[in-house]
Formats: sequence, structure tokens, C-alpha cells
Amino acid sequence: MSLRDYEGIAEPGDLRAIEKMAGALSGKKMLHVNSTAAGGGVAELLVRMVPLFKDIGLDVRWEVMQADRAFFEVTKNIHNSLQGRGSPITREMWETYGAVNGANAARIDLDADFVVIHDPQPAMLIDFKTRGTWLWRCHIDISTPERVTWHFLKGIVEKYDGSVFSVANFAQSLPIQQFLMQPTIDPLAEKNAHLEDEEVRVIYERLGVPMDKPILLQVSRFDPFKDPLGVIEAYRLAKKYHDCRLVLAGGTATDDPEGEKVLAEVQERAAGDPDIHILLLPPFSDRDVNALQRGATIVLQKSTREGFGLVVAEALWKKKPVIGGDVGGIPLQIIEGVTGYLVHSPEGAAYRIRQLLEDPERVRRMGEAGREHIRRNFLITRNLRNYLGIWTALEKKNEKVIYI
Amino acid sequence: MADKTFRFHECFALTTLTGRKASDILELIDIMKTASSSSIFHHMHQYFLKPHAVMPEYPNDFAEWVSEALGEPLLAEALANVNPFEFTDIEDLRAELLRIIEEYLKAYPPPRPVSPGREFMFNEGITIVIPTGIESGPQLHDFLQKLREADYSSVYFHFYESRLRLGRPVDDFSEFLLTSLERPGIAAKIKSLDPYMYTTEVLRGKIAALIEEEL
Repeated sequence: MSLRDYEGIAEPGDLRAIEKMAGALSGKKMLHVNSTAAGGGVAELLVRMVPLFKDIGLDVRWEVMQADRAFFEVTKNIHNSLQGRGSPITREMWETYGAVNGANAARIDLDADFVVIHDPQPAMLIDFKTRGTWLWRCHIDISTPERVTWHFLKGIVEKYDGSVFSVANFAQSLPIQQFLMQPTIDPLAEKNAHLEDEEVRVIYERLGVPMDKPILLQVSRFDPFKDPLGVIEAYRLAKKYHDCRLVLAGGTATDDPEGEKVLAEVQERAAGDPDIHILLLPPFSDRDVNALQRGATIVLQKSTREGFGLVVAEALWKKKPVIGGDVGGIPLQIIEGVTGYLVHSPEGAAYRIRQLLEDPERVRRMGEAGREHIRRNFLITRNLRNYLGIWTALEKKNEKVIYI
Repeated sequence: MADKTFRFHECFALTTLTGRKASDILELIDIMKTASSSSIFHHMHQYFLKPHAVMPEYPNDFAEWVSEALGEPLLAEALANVNPFEFTDIEDLRAELLRIIEEYLKAYPPPRPVSPGREFMFNEGITIVIPTGIESGPQLHDFLQKLREADYSSVYFHFYESRLRLGRPVDDFSEFLLTSLERPGIAAKIKSLDPYMYTTEVLRGKIAALIEEEL
């Protein structure tokens, strides 16, 4: 992987900025720490980003925490609590959290010029800082946290040199500098790379979805906040006017009891309709997801609560108009009436589905605008540029205009 | 002798968050009164630096929020007419924005608060300036070619940011064409372009068209 591979795709100005800033930081050490090596958006981004940082001359490492199930139970609680759900964190839980962070600090070489700690799980590593500029990268929405949990985490986060949030609304008031950095997609990753029509057709055939009618698609976990039942309702309302198929594609939910319950409800609601296809995709089905998005006529992301919702960017990149819930990062990606529509109900989604199925020219136009919107704002090169910019800005504190 | 080389710079803004947000017009006024000058500047200028696949209706964040989130077109139109490039002091700009909103509130009832998630977030910006290595020599056609090669943000840096950097209503392009290439005619035409009416991309097209005419 090389930065050169993005020539002709990303903004040339972004590539020039990356090279110039990397030149100024050449040979310096960068370290990323997160809690999982695979699965989840953070790992997905780091897998692609770390080789690119290497390519531009940085001495970059990516370390993954080692922890047992008990720790991840605690951090799942912390995660839910920061998102305003679940129960308060007990003293024993914080002790587990601290002990695992301490053990990882002893194991991981934390010596670097720029250390990026992703999400709350490894946040306490800051207590073992010896040198360098430390950045806390928060990928989750902590706008309405459980207050006691946030009180404790805030005490940790305040020790960092800076923090980064994905959406301005996700942030909290902090005494350290807070940056805004939206997540991005990699146009060259398997999930987004170009596929020939023939391959799309073959994948659809293998997944058992005929391409004989317009296809509505939602790719998401079977989670109540993704509102799959609302999607089925919208499809039913629209189908009275336009014959179409609905594909609900999501991961298998074996370790998630709530997911299994939602999936059962979805299956029950869809029963008897041969035009609804529920696909349980195994992990790492990136190529299948790519093909499904490319073969769809309209993509839905009818969430009622959402993080950033990068799946919207993936679909827009493939020139698909997206009908999405007006929550989280979705409104940043869907420009109302231009790249898709923001909706607040199954009826709203049905109305927009009908409008689009009625007007293929609008579908085409929105698809073009969507791809350009993503190209300019949501490609991985933008993240590279911003990380280097933030690093530079944190080293030149209080400067509002920085000349490289 | 004047340097006949024009060195194109590009730039981008990092957005920083203050954590302060307004959910209605009264909160907006309250925060606007005490927000940093950097924050007022950011919300009145970032439109010109951001790449737009689709043009927002109004060229500043306050007008856009009042229109989109509060649904008050009358106030949005008034705020959209504030040209930040006419102000050399950010405090005067802040006072003008406050005056417009307060005048509006004397005449009309305050609109209802926005729904959660639609608050106005007060942010600030840090500008990073990049020397591109793109340089033009003493020929006007070379300047034109390099202008097209550089990113839209180059137009922001040399046409908009220059006004703040130099503290007077001038841009680097017309200064260079006047003093280094001794082209007063084209320099005057470029200098007379109203920066508030264009995005950087449209402005680049305008400048390029003027130079082509001259050639």
C-alpha cells in the first residue's frame, strides 16, 4: 500500500499536505493502541492506515491490548454507560480496568513521539506516559453519558495533550484541546474497491437474491437502533406502488442475545414474503457487502440511534442514494435532497423510496453527487492528513496559523 | 527588483471544539457575546475554505443554522448579508451579528428551540499552511497554468486569508501581478472581485477567465 495509489482518487491537495507534513515529521515515532486486532471500525481503519503512515516515512507501530473476558465485560459496561445506557460502574470494575491497563503498560513499549489511544479501553495508559504527545481518540458518542462514569473517565482523559471526536455533538466540555475528525472509508479496501458488474451478479446469485427487480438494501447489525422492522414496514408501504426486493444483510448474532431476539422478530415479520431476503453474513464478508451495495438501487440506513454510520459513506461512494435516519453522523453524509434523504419514520422512508423508484434520473444524479461528497470529505487520506495536522498543532500549542 | 516567482501555498483547517452549544436563539446570543474571537472568525469564514460537493444556501454558519435548524428565513437572510471581509476587526463583526439578532428579536417572537442533535456547536479552527512547491515564473500563461494546478484552498490562502495576514483588503494574486509582473490592468480586475460572493472554486474560475482574456 502506498500513498501514490490514491492519486487520481483523493484530492491532490490532501496528498501534497500529507507529504509535506510527513517530511517535517520524518523518522519520528508514532504509536496507536486499541483493544481489538480485528472486527469493529477502529481495527478496520488502523489496518489500512498504519501501512500508509509507514509509506510516508513515519516509524509507526500499532499495539493491541491483551485482556481477558472480565476486562471486556467491564469495558462493555463503561461503553454502554458512556452512551447513557446500562448501569453505573462499580469500584471492582474500575479496579479491573486499572489493573489490565497497568499490565498492558508493562508489556507495550509506550515510547513514541506521538501516541494515539483509541476509545476508553486503553485510556488509562496515559498514567504510564514518559514522553511524547498523547492524543485520546474517542470514536463513540459520549454526549449524554452516565455522569459518575464520565466523572471517572474525564479524570483520565484530562491528562492527555488533546482529544479527538467524530461529531461535534459527541464531545464533552474538557480542559484539553478537542479536535473534530470525521471517520472515513478506504476506497481501495475490499469493501469499497471497484467490482465488475459480472462479479456483482455472481455474488447476488450465490447469496440467492435475484436481480430482477429494484433492490432496497440495508446493511447493519440486527439491533433495535438500526430499526430493521421499520425498514420492512417502509418496504411494504412502498411495494404497493413499486415491485421491489428488500435485502437486510447483517452479521450473525451468536454472542449477542439482544441481536438474536431482533433477528427472530425480523424473520417473523418477513415470513411468507419471497421478496424479503435476510442475509446473515459471516465476519469479513467485505466483498459480499461491496457487491450488495453495488447491486442495490437504493440503500437505507434507517437508524434511530447511530455512531457515525460509515456504511452510509460506503453506499454513497458506490453512487447509491441513501435514505437514512436523522441521527449521529448520518446528516453529515446525507445532504438532504442531494445525496439522499433524511427520514424520521417508516412512512417517511416509504415516501422517499417511492419518489426515487419513480425517478431513475434522480437516482443517478444523487448517486453522482454522493460519490463526489464522499471523495472530497470522507476518504482515508483525509484522516491521514488530519492526524498529521493534529500532531503538528499539538506540538505548536496556541498557534492559530501554522506554516509547515 | 521584484521577485517574479509566485509560490503557491495551500491550506486546510482543523476544527477544534469548545463544547459550548446553543439550542435556541437566546442561547446563541449569550454564547456569541463571550465566544472567542477565533470562534466567531471560524463560523464566518469556514464556508470559504471547505470543499463543497454541494453548495450550502448561505455562506456563514450562523445564517445556515438559523435557516436550517431554527427555520427563520428572515433572520437567516439578514445574517447572510454580513460580509466578513468588510471587517478588519473581529469585534466589530461580532457586534454586527449581535445587533442583527437583537433587532430581529425586538420585532418577532423567538423561534422554538431546535431538537436535540441540531444545536449550534461553537467551534474554532487552526489553519495549517502548506508550501506546495508549485511555482510560476515571470510569464502570465505560466501563472495561469499553476493557478489551475493548485488546490482550491490555494485560492483561499492567497485571496481570502491574505486580507487578514496583511490587514488590508488586498490579495496576493493582484499584488504579484501588479508589482512583479507589472500588469496593472489584470491586477485591478482581480482586486475588484467580491470575495464574499464566490466559493474558492468559482473564484478560481473567474480569475482564470480574466487572465485568459488578458492573454
